[in-house]
Amino acid sequence: MSHSVEIDSKEAWDGGQSPFRLSYGKIFMWFFLISDALTFGGLLCAYGFARHKADVIWPKAENVFTHFPFVHQHLPLAYVGLMTFILIMSSVTMVLAVEAGHRNYKRGVIIWMFWTIIGGLMFVGSQAWEWYHFIIGTSEGALRHIWHPELGKYVEETFYGANMTYNEYGVQQFANFFFFITGFHGTHVFSGVVINFVIFLNVLKGTYEKRGHYEMVEKVGLYWHFVDLVWVFVFTFFYLL
Amino acid sequence: MSEFHDDYPQYELMAHHSEEEGKTGRRTLWNVFWIMLAITIFELIIGSMAPGHGWSGTLWIKVLFISLTVLKAAFIVLWFMHLKHETSFFKYVVLIPYIIFICYLIFISLNEGTYSGKIENRPNFDNLIIKQQEDLKAGHHGGAAHEKSAEAEAEHH
Repeated sequence: MSHSVEIDSKEAWDGGQSPFRLSYGKIFMWFFLISDALTFGGLLCAYGFARHKADVIWPKAENVFTHFPFVHQHLPLAYVGLMTFILIMSSVTMVLAVEAGHRNYKRGVIIWMFWTIIGGLMFVGSQAWEWYHFIIGTSEGALRHIWHPELGKYVEETFYGANMTYNEYGVQQFANFFFFITGFHGTHVFSGVVINFVIFLNVLKGTYEKRGHYEMVEKVGLYWHFVDLVWVFVFTFFYLL
Repeated sequence: MSEFHDDYPQYELMAHHSEEEGKTGRRTLWNVFWIMLAITIFELIIGSMAPGHGWSGTLWIKVLFISLTVLKAAFIVLWFMHLKHETSFFKYVVLIPYIIFICYLIFISLNEGTYSGKIENRPNFDNLIIKQQEDLKAGHHGGAAHEKSAEAEAEHH
C-alpha cells in the first residue's frame, strides 16, 4: 500500500509527476472533504455556542432518544449505538472493497461494495425512524402557553413531539440543531449511497477491470469514510455530551 | 519527449499490492475496527449510566468523551482513509490548516458564548421576553403583561 517509488531529486524537478505522489482525483477529493469538514465543524461549533450560551437546562439525549424497535421498555442510547455500529461496519466493508481493488480482485470489490450499500441504506432508514419518533413525541407531551386572540389571554395547551417551532423535550434550539445537523449528515449519507451504487454498477460492468485499476472505488471510499467520520462527532456532541 | 510528458509510473498502479500484503493489511483493518467498536461500547455504557450520577455532565466526563472521539477520528483518517500511507507533506497540507482553523472556531464560540450568555450583555429585547415569561409563570395570564411589554418595546424603539 506504500506509495514510495524512489526518484532522484534531479528527476523530480523536471516535472511530469503529480504533487504529493497522489493522483489528481484523489487530491481533489481530499480538498473537497476538507471544505466539507469545515462546514460540519462550523455547524457543530454553532451548536456548542448555542448550548454554552443557553441559560436554561439543555435537553439530555438519554431522556429524548429512548425508543428501540419492537421493544416497549425505554432503552436510552441503544438505538443510536446500533446506528453507529452499522455505519462503522459499512466503513470497514468499504475499506475492504478498496483493498480488494488493490489486488484487482473484482469479485471481492463487488461483495464488499454490496455490503457497504446495504449498510448505508440501513443507516438512512434508521435515521428516518429516529426522526419519526422525535417528531411524534412521547405520550405525555408538554404544556405550552399560546396567545388566544378571542379570549384575549394566554391559554395552556398540551403538545407532543418536536418541530421547527416547538419542542416537547426542552429548548427549541435543540430540535432545530438536531434537524439541521443530522439532516445535513443524512443527506451526505444518502448521496454517498447513490454514488456508491453508481460505482458498484461500473464495477459490475467491468469498467475498472478494463482500466486496470480500481481508483474510483478508492475515491468514493474516501467520501464514505468521511461520512462515518462526521457521524463519530455528531454522535458525541448530540448523544453523549 | 513532449514538454507535457506523462510517462511517470501511474500512481494508481503504485497502489497495487500482492496477496501477502493484502492479508496483513486486512488483519490491521479488522484490528482497527475492533478497537473502534470497543471505544464506542465503552462510550455508550458511560453515556447511559451518566444520568442520575454526580459525575454526569462534569468537565472530566466531557474531556473523556471528546478525547475518545478524536481518537476514533484519528483511526478513521489514518487507517481507513489511508492518510498514514501518504507522503508526510500531504498529511500536513490536510491536517494543519484544518486543526488551526477549528481550534480558532472552538475558542471564539466558547469565548463569545460566555459573553453573550450573561444576562447583562443581552439586548433589552431579550429581557422583555424573559420578563414576559416570568409574568406568565407567576400566573398573570391577562393581557396586561402583554400590553405592558408591547408598550415598553415601542418605547425602546
